[in-house]
Amino acid sequence: MKRIMVDAQNCKGCKNCSIACMQSHRKDNPGGFHSLDLADPANESRNLILLNGNDEYKPLFCRHCAQPECVKACMSGAMEKDSKTGYVRHNAAKCASCFMCVMSCPYGVIKPDRATNSYIVKCDFCQQDGDDPCCVKACRSGAIYVKEVQQ
Amino acid sequence: MKHVIIGAGAAGIAAAETIRRLRSNDEIVIISADDAVHSRCMLHNFISGERDEKGISHISDEFFVKNNIRWVSGKAVEGIDTANKLVRITGGAEPYDKLLIATGAESICLPHAQSLNAENIFGLRHLRDAKAIREYAKQAKNIIIIGAGLVGMDAAYALSQIGKKPVIIDRAEQILALNLDPYAANMYMQKFEKAGCSFVLGREINQVNENAGKVDSITLNFGQKLPCDMLVMAIGSSPSIGFLAGSDIACNGGITVDKYLATNINDIYAAGDVTGLSGIWPNAVKQGETAASNMCGQPATYDDTFAEKNTMNYFGIPSISLGKVMPGSGDTVQVRKDKDKYQKIILNGGQVVGVVLQGNIAHSGFWLQLVKNEIDISKANKSVFNLSFADFYGVKEDGEYMWVL
Ligand SMILES: Cc1cc2nc3c(=O)[nH]c(=O)nc-3n(C[C@H](O)[C@H](O)[C@H](O)COP(=O)(O)OP(=O)(O)OC[C@H]3O[C@@H](n4cnc5c(N)ncnc54)[C@H](O)[C@@H]3O)c2cc1C
Repeated sequence: MKRIMVDAQNCKGCKNCSIACMQSHRKDNPGGFHSLDLADPANESRNLILLNGNDEYKPLFCRHCAQPECVKACMSGAMEKDSKTGYVRHNAAKCASCFMCVMSCPYGVIKPDRATNSYIVKCDFCQQDGDDPCCVKACRSGAIYVKEVQQ
Repeated sequence: MKHVIIGAGAAGIAAAETIRRLRSNDEIVIISADDAVHSRCMLHNFISGERDEKGISHISDEFFVKNNIRWVSGKAVEGIDTANKLVRITGGAEPYDKLLIATGAESICLPHAQSLNAENIFGLRHLRDAKAIREYAKQAKNIIIIGAGLVGMDAAYALSQIGKKPVIIDRAEQILALNLDPYAANMYMQKFEKAGCSFVLGREINQVNENAGKVDSITLNFGQKLPCDMLVMAIGSSPSIGFLAGSDIACNGGITVDKYLATNINDIYAAGDVTGLSGIWPNAVKQGETAASNMCGQPATYDDTFAEKNTMNYFGIPSISLGKVMPGSGDTVQVRKDKDKYQKIILNGGQVVGVVLQGNIAHSGFWLQLVKNEIDISKANKSVFNLSFADFYGVKEDGEYMWVL
């Protein structure tokens, strides 16, 4: 499967990846970057860059894990590992908003949607594009890149 | 090889999926008393009318066909003939090579009411319970729920959504006493009260009074009597092992298993709530997967045993609790809160021993790792509220993350 690889040492904390993710998932009319409303909870990012105690950047992106804890914890069938692509997909319509997956993600990647607290916001690999995910295309420092990995 | 699984819940379904992944040609049979696969965790959504029967299934419509599984539905197992390797069901028997018992649990009844055969006492465990509650509630005026734990509050939520005004009784001084501290519990209680529920807390039940085959009132300690025309028991559950009475399968409250989830009898395994090891979904799934792997001859142990973890989401307010909800001796507490967010961290030395989060639970999954793995956080060099996976960040060669301690 394809995975977004992370090289934290290259991360400059510019958050281009987060803006690109927001732009890719915005629900309003998809205009250019300039019209992206950064304050609209509906446009929230699926990735984020954390800081550790030494002020080093640590990019947090869904791993689409081989043994996804979020899927094992899902009691509604909304979170599924696609056996063909390897991606962990979330079906918002099926989601019962129990948030066991949020609790179970060992890295704290996934979250309830900020606007309604009723489904999960997570990486979908920008599958609507088919191309590399938008975050990767936006990264200027080589901190994230796509690689084929064995599972 | 023929695998028979008793139970189509979290553990049984996860086990069947795992067996199919490991053994494409083995025969798999699931026998369940349930005639529709459903997630217990969504029963409240069924009662409230937010979801129909199909909407509370956790598997796809094609599950059994796609995985080539024979499902014997709506049939209760009556016993197991371990000598001849047969599962006995009404009017027949199913032979097995490997057997998994994943029969879950049953609601327990207050001792005061055990001998009663009243038509208006309900548990909430199965879809059939939810159907019965929904139907009976239509004409009930004085609904009492005994137990303000997760199941009781699910029932209260559901009934409030269909215009009922249930009274919830608990001997604890707060609701959700096992899962939340008083502050977070009170936040929910106010929402429940607004929705029409009322609470009688810190009181014991002295008697359940019956008249003409129906409960008609509840007597509390100090003599107070509450009218009741529908009673929901939500005081807990116990492993479903009734059908094993007289068998040679060892039980001790639940079915006794080793770390491979094998019972004392060769080729018989148990997983999920029936083992008494846990009472939550993720653990039942992992037990199902572990047992299945062993049934397929691939040794696996059930290691992720931590079960003091829960999430809740009532009236759009999510919560997570891990480990202790109240400090013990030697523990220190740090709290941060505003009007819609509450975070309480209980520490002991350099370890996080308890967490209660309410309101905003975004990106909070790392807390479970800190608590269950007893990770020392003193090296992180920041406020406990700013901790994250960044402080333990590592990446493996294949790109998966790992905790660096
Ligand atoms: C109202 C409610 C809400 C819950 N909410 C949550 C939640 O939000 N999060 C969470 O993590 N957990 C929750 N739980 C707990 C969770 O549902 C259980 O831990 C989980 O379902 C256990 O899975 P299991 O496979 O062991 O048993 P079950 O899911 O109970 O499945 C048992 C299966 O065995 C079958 N069976 C039983 N006896 C027989 C027999 N004699 N013959 C044939 N078949 C039989 C049943 O029909 C059923 O198919 C909730 C439970 C309830 C009751």
